[in-house]
Amino acid sequence: MPTFKKIAAILNPAAPHMVGDGFRVHNFFPSGYKIKMDPFYLLDYNAKIEFSPTNKLRGVGVHPHRGFETVTIAYQGAVAHHDSAGNSGVIYPGDVQWMTAASGILHKEYHEENFSKKGGTFQMVQLWVNLPAKYKMSTPKYQALANNNIAKHKLPNNGGLIEVIAGEYLGTKGSASTFTPIELYTLKLKTGTKVILTSPANYNTALVVIEGSISVNDTEQAATNQMVHFTNDGSEIAIEAKEDSVVLFLSGEPINEPIAQYGPFLMNKPEELQQAIEDYNTGKFGYLEE
Amino acid sequence: MLEKFQSYLKERLSITDEQAKEATSCLKSKTFKKGTVLLNPGDLRSENYFINEGLLRYFSIDEKGKEHILQFAPENWMISDRNSSVFNEPSIFFIDAIENTEVLIVPSHFFVDIQKLLPHILELNIMMLHNSIRFMQKRINMLLSATAEERYLDFIKLYPNLTLRVPQWMIASYLGITPESLSRVRKDLAKKHFK
Repeated sequence: MPTFKKIAAILNPAAPHMVGDGFRVHNFFPSGYKIKMDPFYLLDYNAKIEFSPTNKLRGVGVHPHRGFETVTIAYQGAVAHHDSAGNSGVIYPGDVQWMTAASGILHKEYHEENFSKKGGTFQMVQLWVNLPAKYKMSTPKYQALANNNIAKHKLPNNGGLIEVIAGEYLGTKGSASTFTPIELYTLKLKTGTKVILTSPANYNTALVVIEGSISVNDTEQAATNQMVHFTNDGSEIAIEAKEDSVVLFLSGEPINEPIAQYGPFLMNKPEELQQAIEDYNTGKFGYLEE
Repeated sequence: MLEKFQSYLKERLSITDEQAKEATSCLKSKTFKKGTVLLNPGDLRSENYFINEGLLRYFSIDEKGKEHILQFAPENWMISDRNSSVFNEPSIFFIDAIENTEVLIVPSHFFVDIQKLLPHILELNIMMLHNSIRFMQKRINMLLSATAEERYLDFIKLYPNLTLRVPQWMIASYLGITPESLSRVRKDLAKKHFK
């Protein structure tokens, strides 16, 4: 008999900080809160914010990554990006960019030109998904998931839909391929819609209320911009939308390997970090024009 | 707060934990937000900064408004303006915080004051001074004679992680080359080493 995952905490967003001049993010983990979220290493939440029109593109310049994947989910606004493997594109609302940095990549991310010129509302999530040791030095790859390519599960009675970015929801398979088992969905729920989400008890699990407000497991309420973090009991979560709501659900099987992190590198051992720094400095990550 | 400076002393002098603790007990730390200017031309400062956390920069600005970086001071480095701290003359340089920074304020008279407690501290101070001169000699030679690539390769040996912490133009300023030359150097290295 499945039981509800217990709610460990309902977390308010931590104080924001700027990443470059284009992203004003609240870090939920690892610095905002020390919570168990392996295989997810980091979640930066750019809560809704208005950017004024500008001709100068705001963003983050060329920087490296090694040892993990960055997953960028756009809710409002548009981000253009380029990487040293020659990939480039724009992430519009509803799109997801799943970049496997693995052995090393350089990239840069800026507000898309038209968005910058017009200004407007901006809201995004960036996740760092760790890789198991055996894949950390694999070849980088890149999955550009435009919204129309993301699998959608329609909820009955026009209750909304679930965009299955990764994993599987009631037979609808996620669009992204992952290295370890991960469930990652955006739920777009109409007022009053109830859904049950399932993931094994040992998966580390949280959800973020992007819009609206919800009740969780019929007991607790979570409002816009709050994160609900779950314990490792039970396998089901009941969500009811108290108003039209958008919710990000993330749940993954822990990798349970040692972690050594410095800046944009996420490895297992300190000496691998030294190596990453040296490789970056000496051009082994390739080159990308500023 | 004091632990890093205590370790710094312990690594360089054969002293006990207790001696290190006693010697540093009078020192105070201070935090500066990113962007804070700690020293301006014309200021008099009788103190050294030992960096616990963060990053300081020692630089000048020329008549055209161009910045010239003489030194970066990341964790475990000590930085001071000798003109004012030793010769009591107004500084001609700036120090500012490139990151949120916590420093330990080490007064210039500290090394004299704690002699009784740490008899070898003056020798250490002299060694640090010689080291600083050696560093300057090498730096002058690099600026006079080395190619942009040689300067960059020397820089990443000295400050391996600063390439991840400071913008390119600051590294270029430190190396005495244009940001475009630095880009070229990095591009050439990538051509050689990227597989």
